[in-house]
Amino acid sequence: MNDAATTLTTAAFSRVLRWSIAALALAIAPHVPHLAPWTVLLAGSAALLRLWIDAKGRELPAKWLRIVVAFAALLGVLHSYRTLNGIEAGTALLVVMAGMKLLETRNNRDLTVIIFLAYFALFAAFLYDQRILLLPYLLACTWLLTTTLMRIHHSQMPGMRTAGVHSGKMLLQALPLAALLFLLVPRLPGQFWSVPAREQAITGLSEEMTPGDVSELSLSSAVAFRAHFEGELPPPRERYWRGPVLQQFDGRTWRRLAMPQPRQAIVAQGPHYDYRITLEPQERNWIFALDMATDWDEDRAARSADLLLSARQPRISVLTSFQLRSATRYRTGEELSPVMRQITTFIPSSNNQRTQALARQMRAQSPDDASFIQNVLRLFNTSDFYYTLQPPALADNAVDDFMFNTRRGFCEHYASAFTVMMRAAGIPARVVTGYQGGEYNPLGDYLIVRQSDAHAWTEVWETGRGWRRVDPTAAIAPDRIERGLQAAMGANEPVPGRMVGNHALLSQLRLAWDAANTFWNNQVVQFGADQQRWLLRQLNLDDERWEYLGVGLGLALAAFFGALSLYLAWQFRSAPPPPARAAFAKLSRRFAAIDLARQDQEGPRDYITRLARARPELASRLQQIGALYIALEYQAVAPPDTLQKLQRAIRQLPLGRAARRVQQSPEQ
Amino acid sequence: MFAAIARRLSALSRRWARRHGMDASPCTLRARRIYILPTGLGLAYGLMLLAMLVGAMNYANNLALGLALLLGSLGLTTMHHCHRNLHELVVRAVGADAVFAGQTARFRIILENTASTTRAELVVENEHHVNTPLQLPPNSTIEAQLQMPAPHRGKVFLDQFRISTHHPLGLFRAWAYLHMDAHCMVYPRQAADNDLSPITPLTTAGERHGAPGAEEFAGLRPYQPGDSPRRIDWKAYAREQGLQVKHHAGAQTQPELLDFEALAGMDTEARLSQLCRWVEDANREDRRYALKMPGVNIATGNGSAHRQRCLTALALYGL
Repeated sequence: MNDAATTLTTAAFSRVLRWSIAALALAIAPHVPHLAPWTVLLAGSAALLRLWIDAKGRELPAKWLRIVVAFAALLGVLHSYRTLNGIEAGTALLVVMAGMKLLETRNNRDLTVIIFLAYFALFAAFLYDQRILLLPYLLACTWLLTTTLMRIHHSQMPGMRTAGVHSGKMLLQALPLAALLFLLVPRLPGQFWSVPAREQAITGLSEEMTPGDVSELSLSSAVAFRAHFEGELPPPRERYWRGPVLQQFDGRTWRRLAMPQPRQAIVAQGPHYDYRITLEPQERNWIFALDMATDWDEDRAARSADLLLSARQPRISVLTSFQLRSATRYRTGEELSPVMRQITTFIPSSNNQRTQALARQMRAQSPDDASFIQNVLRLFNTSDFYYTLQPPALADNAVDDFMFNTRRGFCEHYASAFTVMMRAAGIPARVVTGYQGGEYNPLGDYLIVRQSDAHAWTEVWETGRGWRRVDPTAAIAPDRIERGLQAAMGANEPVPGRMVGNHALLSQLRLAWDAANTFWNNQVVQFGADQQRWLLRQLNLDDERWEYLGVGLGLALAAFFGALSLYLAWQFRSAPPPPARAAFAKLSRRFAAIDLARQDQEGPRDYITRLARARPELASRLQQIGALYIALEYQAVAPPDTLQKLQRAIRQLPLGRAARRVQQSPEQ
Repeated sequence: MFAAIARRLSALSRRWARRHGMDASPCTLRARRIYILPTGLGLAYGLMLLAMLVGAMNYANNLALGLALLLGSLGLTTMHHCHRNLHELVVRAVGADAVFAGQTARFRIILENTASTTRAELVVENEHHVNTPLQLPPNSTIEAQLQMPAPHRGKVFLDQFRISTHHPLGLFRAWAYLHMDAHCMVYPRQAADNDLSPITPLTTAGERHGAPGAEEFAGLRPYQPGDSPRRIDWKAYAREQGLQVKHHAGAQTQPELLDFEALAGMDTEARLSQLCRWVEDANREDRRYALKMPGVNIATGNGSAHRQRCLTALALYGL
């Protein structure tokens, strides 16, 4: 058996080669941004060289040359990526080898390999990016590749349109089974083999904060995470999403504490909220729970001593969801260890001395810590402090410069200055970063929290109650907390999404698009064991056993084969013969009763002659029937009522009683 | 040795495939006789899908998994299409024109598509010949030729042949073996030019002839099977007067007797070859001849039916 029975003519090969290269290029296109440029260049020039060879009818490069170049390319990938394992190196290798394969492509089998490589490139594209918009593009590519594959294996190479319709139909026929399998294939937890994580810069919160440095974050409208609440939403002023806690201060920069610290028990008070948080990919594993998380899946997440919830995996590199419970009122413990008190009251004495002096003075004038805190907040509120995203740069003594000179800044500046003042007065205090607020999307009933909602606030230690949140930004710009960044900003400040936000229709569209994406992310991208269990429950299979999925798989396959067989049987059904032939067949059936059926190889004229000889009394009628039939079958244009005449003549042919009696019980 | 084993196995498999006897003509291909297996490319495709599945599971990536499942499902769909492309195809073997030994027998195979969809890429093949793929539009027939070498006189049987297809994507190949009772008559190889000539017997009493030497047109008589097409009055046929044969008075010279026994001193095959040559010569020159061999006596005659009778007798002599 020879597999490649189809041999294409040179012209057909050239055409299908061009289509294969085009399809390959489209399949590789989504990878171009994250490939080493040289690999794209190498594959591209190989494709151009192959097209040139084809156009000029030249010889393909010598085999030894191809082997040398391919080996060099392999080493090149190894050198660029330091490995051949993982998505990035794998994709680069795929692209380079597809280019090399083009240089030895001379028949339809080679072209098939090119198509297979392109299929694999599509597959790899999904490993990088699972956005909703990529799907139609990749499906279109799949269609083009399948069409090209069909043309490669057809000796009469059909046109793009014919083959496209055919392959499109086949893909549509394949779709139901693919969808069923998608629902039923068991999802395995964990990886079979580990692959190096992908390096990529994503904006997000960092582990340190330097007020005065330009923050890109507040200008980014990228989504940080979404939260879908099962009941009531928390009111805006309680939407604090907790990120890393910064406790070490060197006079300018706040950092996370690297040393181990004692854990504190959380006692929830007041209402709690159940919600599902879906985090966009980030560079860390932080879960920005609503302050303060009280319940989560211990297998998947853990809380550190500074009360930050983190995923167990080292990095949230793909969209990930967690089911959480939070209480917005809580106590964190009663005792602060001496070491922690020392750390959270430390400020370098050598700088920011004016601020420290001010704090000490204000503390002295206040009867207790609580009224001191109120006094400092009132200071921010009543003095000429401004909330702006474009603050001036700060001098060496950053806090002093801010407090007494510039007085312009955003949450970082206020949180930093406030915390310094607390510490100067001997009150343990620390900076908490995270997000505040969130846009409610009524279409999908969830909150969208963007990078521009990044926020910083302060926690002060209150003996007997624990860490308590104080947000100085609320004192200077209450709108920031209640209504979000846009409301808090002057009209001339650049705020992400302001133009969209001011336009009702655009705003609606943006929310609708986000809702579609969220549905996509939750129901398709993250479809997994949970949803499968839900599906089984919907089918009244309360006993969640994986065997049911197996049975379901079997049934799905059987149903698919059955349905497809029926469809194809219908497609390949026998076509009815033309009416003239049907009428003549009826004549033969009538005469079959008296053993005068038409023979297999008998022409119409011969048959009529034989009948006329057997039944001379019908000869003239039979001759007429023969003439009518021959006119219908063989004349270019027969008179319009010929068919009716023929049918009538055959119907009215008197065959005598004997024949009629046999006919009454036909098909014997 | 391996080649011998392979030949033996192939012969065994054929015997097994023919266990139900010869196929009728026409034969409609039914599902139970259509075999289908992935081609080499189909296996490569399967391996690719396996790699995709493992990769998608490893990265817990649903869309990649979806693509792998779609392509897998597409593979199964093409398997169905491939099978259907053969299913209920009607095959007829309509025999072959006789050839002389050493020539190639060409069997005519008629494929008929009674379905309302095109059947594409049908390959008719046997071990000696592979046809280029055929396309069959709805409700149509097409003729394919299968070649068999015919080295010796006698009959060549079509025996087994195969109809296969790998439409639409080349991932699967469906095929059916057919065994049809068709044969090709192989006449003996004609002897080379030589100066042997047949014996012309004396005119026996009772045989009528026209005036010797006169070859005049004596009129038309109705065609009878066996009359030489050379003598049909085609102009009369064109005037729709039916097939008429020109009758020449005195056209016949002395009839020839082609006698096996007369060729003494030669072996049987050489004698048959010589007789074959004489038949062809006589036929070409439209002479009348009779054939006499041990056990075979064909009376004087001429025309294509007579020629065929004589050559068939030569072909089958002693077999």
